[in-house]
Amino acid sequence: MNPSDVQRTKQVHRVVINAPIEKVWETLTKTDAVLPFFFCSVLKTTKLEVGAPVRMRSPDGKLTGVVGEVTEFDPPHCFAHTFKFTNYDDPLCLVRYELKSIEGGTEFTLTSENVPVGTKTEKQMGSGGKMIAEALKVYVESGKPSFVSRMIGIVNFLTGPLAPKKCRSEHWPLDKKIS
Amino acid sequence: MTPESMDLVFHALASRARRAILDIVRDRPGCCVQDVCVHFDVSRIMILKHLRILEEAQLLVLKKAGRKVELYFNAVPIQMIYDRWTSEYSSYWASKIVDFKMLLESEPQKPPPSPSSHPRKSKQHEPK
Repeated sequence: MNPSDVQRTKQVHRVVINAPIEKVWETLTKTDAVLPFFFCSVLKTTKLEVGAPVRMRSPDGKLTGVVGEVTEFDPPHCFAHTFKFTNYDDPLCLVRYELKSIEGGTEFTLTSENVPVGTKTEKQMGSGGKMIAEALKVYVESGKPSFVSRMIGIVNFLTGPLAPKKCRSEHWPLDKKIS
Repeated sequence: MTPESMDLVFHALASRARRAILDIVRDRPGCCVQDVCVHFDVSRIMILKHLRILEEAQLLVLKKAGRKVELYFNAVPIQMIYDRWTSEYSSYWASKIVDFKMLLESEPQKPPPSPSSHPRKSKQHEPK
């Protein structure tokens, strides 16, 4: 399907986290560590800056669930990257994390843009977005992972033996251009 | 979630008009205030008041795009309220029971068995 033929939508998820902005930023952009708020996957990149690759991999590194490229990197306020689930053949969309220091903590806004309407990506982004926002809040505030048994979707195929072959990390090296 | 922010969410949701606004915005992410107003017979000022209450509860996110304000539904507070109770009680059986209810209610309604049965109030369904 031609990406320009697809109707696009935007989703917004916002939460106030009772922690200083630097702490939220540091947690959000941590690389090479298991991220309980991101379906227990690991962010792999070269060095976080505009143009750098983004790969969300399983803790053992064998599977890759999400791929993209950094489009904005402005610590500690904004981090954005293109986004694609490796198990779907949907066109790229964009995820933007915005942090704002407010009274009582940090306002965290996760916006997904250019989400193709009516696709599995749209559905996954909807449920994933609110989970990430909430789980990040719990993790930053308490230092402990939140109730993760609902972490369906990405984690299922990232940990399961049924993971599609196209999710194997060998297909998604850091130097591969994502389009 | 603080007791204060939970109060804001429940207060915001305790209004049929505000729930209707959430439905409208959820179905049309990024719509503007006027897109909401056309669904109601009340003044724009009244709608703005509802929008402010929804925004304070974080159920709505208002984003400035040039001179326009875009409205987005934010499900995170509802998710937190859900988790607040379902992690303490069982979410498994609750969801099974809801599925069961949905299944039965989605079937075509049969006429009542006999006129002598107890009179029942007809159930008002809210628009989805």
